[in-house]
Amino acid sequence: MKNLLEIQNAHVYIGSFYILQGISLVVPKGEVTLLLGRNGSGKTTTMKAILGIYPPREGNILFKGEEISDLPTHKIVSKGIGYVPDTRRIFGNLTVEQNLIVSRRKGGLKDEVQDRLNLIFELFPDMSRFFKQKARTLSGGQQQMLAVARALMNDNDLLLIDEPTEGLSPLLAKNLIAALDRLKEFATILLVEQNFRTVSQLGDNFYIFDNGKIVHEGSDMNKLMADKALVAQYLGVSI
Amino acid sequence: MTMQKRKLSPRDYLEENPHVRGILRIVVAIVLTIIAGLLVVMAINVYTWQGFVVRTSKSLVNGLAFSMLLFLMVSGFYLIFGLCDVINFAHGAFFMLGGFLGFVVYLETEAVFLDPNLPFQLFFGTNYYALSVTAFVVSALAATAIMTLIGGGIEFFTIRRLYGNPIAQILLTVGFMFIISQIAEIVWGPPQFTYFILPNSQIYFFFMSGVIDFGGGLLFETYRIFLIFLGLTVAVLMFLGFRKTRIGLQIQAGIEDSEMVEALGTDIRRLFTLVFMLGAGLAGLAGAVLVPQIGANSGHGLTYLIYAFVIVVIGGAHYGRFEGTFFGALIVGLSTQFALYFIPELENIIVFIIMVIILIIKPGGLTGHE
Repeated sequence: MKNLLEIQNAHVYIGSFYILQGISLVVPKGEVTLLLGRNGSGKTTTMKAILGIYPPREGNILFKGEEISDLPTHKIVSKGIGYVPDTRRIFGNLTVEQNLIVSRRKGGLKDEVQDRLNLIFELFPDMSRFFKQKARTLSGGQQQMLAVARALMNDNDLLLIDEPTEGLSPLLAKNLIAALDRLKEFATILLVEQNFRTVSQLGDNFYIFDNGKIVHEGSDMNKLMADKALVAQYLGVSI
Repeated sequence: MTMQKRKLSPRDYLEENPHVRGILRIVVAIVLTIIAGLLVVMAINVYTWQGFVVRTSKSLVNGLAFSMLLFLMVSGFYLIFGLCDVINFAHGAFFMLGGFLGFVVYLETEAVFLDPNLPFQLFFGTNYYALSVTAFVVSALAATAIMTLIGGGIEFFTIRRLYGNPIAQILLTVGFMFIISQIAEIVWGPPQFTYFILPNSQIYFFFMSGVIDFGGGLLFETYRIFLIFLGLTVAVLMFLGFRKTRIGLQIQAGIEDSEMVEALGTDIRRLFTLVFMLGAGLAGLAGAVLVPQIGANSGHGLTYLIYAFVIVVIGGAHYGRFEGTFFGALIVGLSTQFALYFIPELENIIVFIIMVIILIIKPGGLTGHE
């Protein structure tokens, strides 16, 4: 199976608002697929549609060839999807360690997850330092590391990562992108990013969203960056 | 060009000047100590030193016992509100029904134990103390189990359909409050009747006459000491459960962000049902073990619902922590008992005075955010 995830003509409403107006996309296995576009163009809603938080009223979502759009959220993610939300949404009253325990779908932090913890500490060496600290006392960058680490606590084939560099300093953003680059070895990634230049070397394929529709797709990031008219029209002025 | 001067509120000023805040804190601490000292001197003056010691220790023990029971009841109310976002108006009614269930099961169990045709006589012999204690434990466990099932059933069959619709939830839980209260009134009569376990029942030997004498007029009922231990044990078990088990951590995390917990792969609906069962069970347990002290009464539902609200508000309802409920229960339980022994006129309003003061100083409650 080449495509790990496939969305076919999905129409998604949030309340009475018609957000995704028939989008179709594929996420090939082992690759990084970028969702680009301005604020409010439907990128995050696409992620939430995959997760079943806003299930599509029409259309299909296939994960590993299996229809998932009519399943509840916890069953969808249990099939092997990790989620890193845009505003981090870590559990502030819990410690970093407890945040990771909560993220385990079964079992706690016993021996069998030592490999995962080792990978997390390798990606984010700082984390061992604030492992026992309450998550709400962490800085923005540390919280983002925790949000990514949470998605690595289970055997996930697909990682949905929403705006990971939002609010981070350029240096922190660069470190995080390096960590994501390393993650490509372990999982397929669907990445939402507004600031597409920071992730341009990461992406294998991209889709550009505008007003709930996909207006452009491709796999050559360099060509996209050179296309000034396209960038100005759909990706704002962040050149 | 003139810079417009920003108007500073006292709170902003204190926020920006930590040294002033530090001095103010010390001043407040000194003033509070002086007031407390004056109150103590006045109390000794009125009641004599011996009377003061007896009253203080009695308020302390009774207050602790009452606090622990309030904590048992309110922790469920807090968890249901925190995790499921449901204000469970029927929680007081759960507590009240737990009381009646405990009362009925106690009498039935005692009758069975005393039946000469059954083998229990051989087991207990003339040890009525052991008999009454066993019957009491059976009644408490039965009330907990039945209320756990009722709570789980109410969540599973009705409230589950209404998540995300707060108005409908309030109407529904208020409806359950009235239904349960009316059923209790039909079966056991209006709130004018309170059912106590009579002194000629065997439980008399355990609770109503059982005392521990520390000398110097310090007599404490065994029952109150038992309540304190029971409450503390359940509290410790809950704290450990919330810190050390994955499911406990998931409940805590769910109180902060239930959608995210689900997006990590937890069946949040199952967690909601579990919390409802736990909450209703604890309310039932509290109702059943409080019967020897406050009796069973169909009006208790409303009275104790108000306590639940006050404690959760003091502890920190929004984004607050579980510990807040524990301290809230301590404050309410101790203050009512101290008021009862020293300024009886204030018994019924002291908790509201304290609530207002705490909300002025910390609008989010003890552990919550604003």
